[in-house]
Amino acid sequence: MITLSDVSKWYQAFQVLKDCSTEVAKGEVVVVCGPSGSGKSTLIKCVNGLEPFQKGTITVSGISVGDRKTDLPKLRARIGMVFQHFELFPHLTVMRNLELAQMKVLGRGKKESDRRGMQLLERVDMKEHAHKYPGQLSGGQQQRVAIARALAMDPIAMLFDEPTSALDPEMINEVLDVMISLAKDGMTMMVVTHEMGFARKVAHRVVFMDKGEIVEDASTADFFAKPRSERAQTFLSKILQH
Amino acid sequence: MFSNFDFDVIIRSLPYLFLDGMTFTLMLTALATTGGIVFGTLLALMRLSAFAPASILAAGYVNLMRSVPLVLMIFWFYFLVPYIGQWVTGAGQPIQVGAFVSSLVTFTLFEAAYFCEIMRAGIQSISRGQISAAQALGMTYPQTMGYIVLPQALRNMLPVLLTQTIILFQDTSLVYVLSITDFLGAASKIAQRDGRLVEMYLFAAVVYFIISFLASRLVRRLQSRIAIIR
Amino acid sequence: MNYNWNWGIFFETSPDGVHSYLTTLLLGTGWTLATALAAWCLALALGSLVGVIRTTPYPWFVRLGDAYVELFRDIPLLVQMFLWYFVLPELLPVSLGDWLKQLPDASFYTAVVSLGFYTSARVAEQVRAGITSLARGQRFAALALGLTLPQAYGYVLLPMAYRIILPPLTSEFLNVIKNSAVALTIGLMELTARARAMQEMSFQVFEAFTAATVIYIIINIAVTFGMRWVERRAAVPGLIGAAVPAAAH
Repeated sequence: MITLSDVSKWYQAFQVLKDCSTEVAKGEVVVVCGPSGSGKSTLIKCVNGLEPFQKGTITVSGISVGDRKTDLPKLRARIGMVFQHFELFPHLTVMRNLELAQMKVLGRGKKESDRRGMQLLERVDMKEHAHKYPGQLSGGQQQRVAIARALAMDPIAMLFDEPTSALDPEMINEVLDVMISLAKDGMTMMVVTHEMGFARKVAHRVVFMDKGEIVEDASTADFFAKPRSERAQTFLSKILQH
Repeated sequence: MFSNFDFDVIIRSLPYLFLDGMTFTLMLTALATTGGIVFGTLLALMRLSAFAPASILAAGYVNLMRSVPLVLMIFWFYFLVPYIGQWVTGAGQPIQVGAFVSSLVTFTLFEAAYFCEIMRAGIQSISRGQISAAQALGMTYPQTMGYIVLPQALRNMLPVLLTQTIILFQDTSLVYVLSITDFLGAASKIAQRDGRLVEMYLFAAVVYFIISFLASRLVRRLQSRIAIIR
Repeated sequence: MNYNWNWGIFFETSPDGVHSYLTTLLLGTGWTLATALAAWCLALALGSLVGVIRTTPYPWFVRLGDAYVELFRDIPLLVQMFLWYFVLPELLPVSLGDWLKQLPDASFYTAVVSLGFYTSARVAEQVRAGITSLARGQRFAALALGLTLPQAYGYVLLPMAYRIILPPLTSEFLNVIKNSAVALTIGLMELTARARAMQEMSFQVFEAFTAATVIYIIINIAVTFGMRWVERRAAVPGLIGAAVPAAAH
């Protein structure tokens, strides 16, 4: 479904991604982890073209992301993204947040958008908050709405950029639970996260990055049991101490 | 000093001052503000765009308008607009447009430069994450700007935009140089006709003061209410 | 377009018989700069005083300062000029009023005073913002050392405050130069007035106004570069530019 092939990216003279190659098959859940500055957020933002890249190719369902002729907005409508800072639109109600892209990008009518929106709010357990503004919600609530907003577009794959890093500890689980249920329903997911518990529960594969390179790319079981590289071992030992 | 202060001349001229003069002033303020914000927002988008010619053109326009006195611009457009009208419509002679139209054009184009800087600051204050989120949902640039960035920018900059409107309101008094009958012009005409400069100019000053003072108080209240909502 | 361009008009003699049109424009520029500089000095002096007063711990002083700023900000500059020029001489004792009305270059002095007071309110606002943007501890530290309040302002607060507000002060100075054009309504023959006169006498409208526009742009650029040089000379190493809050507007 998602293929990255020798992707490299430079910010001026500094190389942030070095020949990254990996794949996410349909229905697979891949966790991308690594220390700060490893380039994992940048990598995931390249998948839906939010960040440009200079070398290599990325294809999503056969469509090349880097190709100049690709209709990016159309492609992005088919890929859902959830951000670290939620990024709900603060001047719109929860319902309007969910409707907007459905109506203006997919061309759905208001009734249908509302129906789908309510359905998804129910799924993330936020139905009673439909007419509130993001500013009135907690972080965990906002992130759940953000997931619903992305799902409202009926995406073929979902990208998560550190979805729980900005949350207070007591709210992390409510979001992870939604993500776990999504994974169990067979959604193709690429998740940048530090939450190793989540990885162990639902991820099929773990990709470990350091300094712009993909250092390890193994099945979840293999990664946790016997990480091959020293850097991955150090990282795991530091993270799993919690 | 104040012994023969003639209140009567003020009272007699109230209809003329307000129905003729103040109406003109308020209409010019309202229309120029609207046009100025629209054009100013367009200029701001041009300045912020990655398309170099648009950015340079907009920057040049804004810098030009901000380097030159408004009075000079009033003269410029008074003479220029008829020629532009002739060029646009292909007429044989410069088109007579009248003082109101030329001052409307002047104030809209001039104040747009100032509104541009305000909107530019507003747009830049919207976090990149908002734009990323909109793009991730598949919205195009016009959709992102129209539904997400500009509504928030306008809301954030509302107090500053209103303050600029108050400045515009005061600036309209400069149409005096074209002998136009705005509020000050009306007061001036009465003053010269009846020889009552002291009364009329003091009255004009008081009226301008009251309006500007009340307006800026309202803006300050609006500002504190917005701050609470955040 | 039925307009006859004549860029040579600048070198023809103007109706006063003595100067070329170009010279009259340059004379006007001289008046513009003289008015602006004189008004600016007045504005800086008055504005600093009022700005400082508004930051003192004496509520009545603060209220007085606030009223001063409110008064000069809520009345259009043109109306203020008319008040100084037409109304003031009438309100004074007859002899004083008559003397004012017969003063040679009355429009110059009126323009300077009017523009000076108008701008001083804006300078006061900047100075107040600059002082309040300083950490409160600065004032306490100065006082704790035994400095009197005036000394604290003079040696500690104002030197830093002025550096912080140099950029907005520069725009204020540029505003003064532009606002000097308003004085043409009371008869000051500054640059815009000269351009208007040239337009009326020679009918070469666009040449006249283009020249005036170009001169204003040149003045603008010169002042901007000059102030940048001043900013660099006055910069405190390591401080300004790094942590200056946007409050100084």
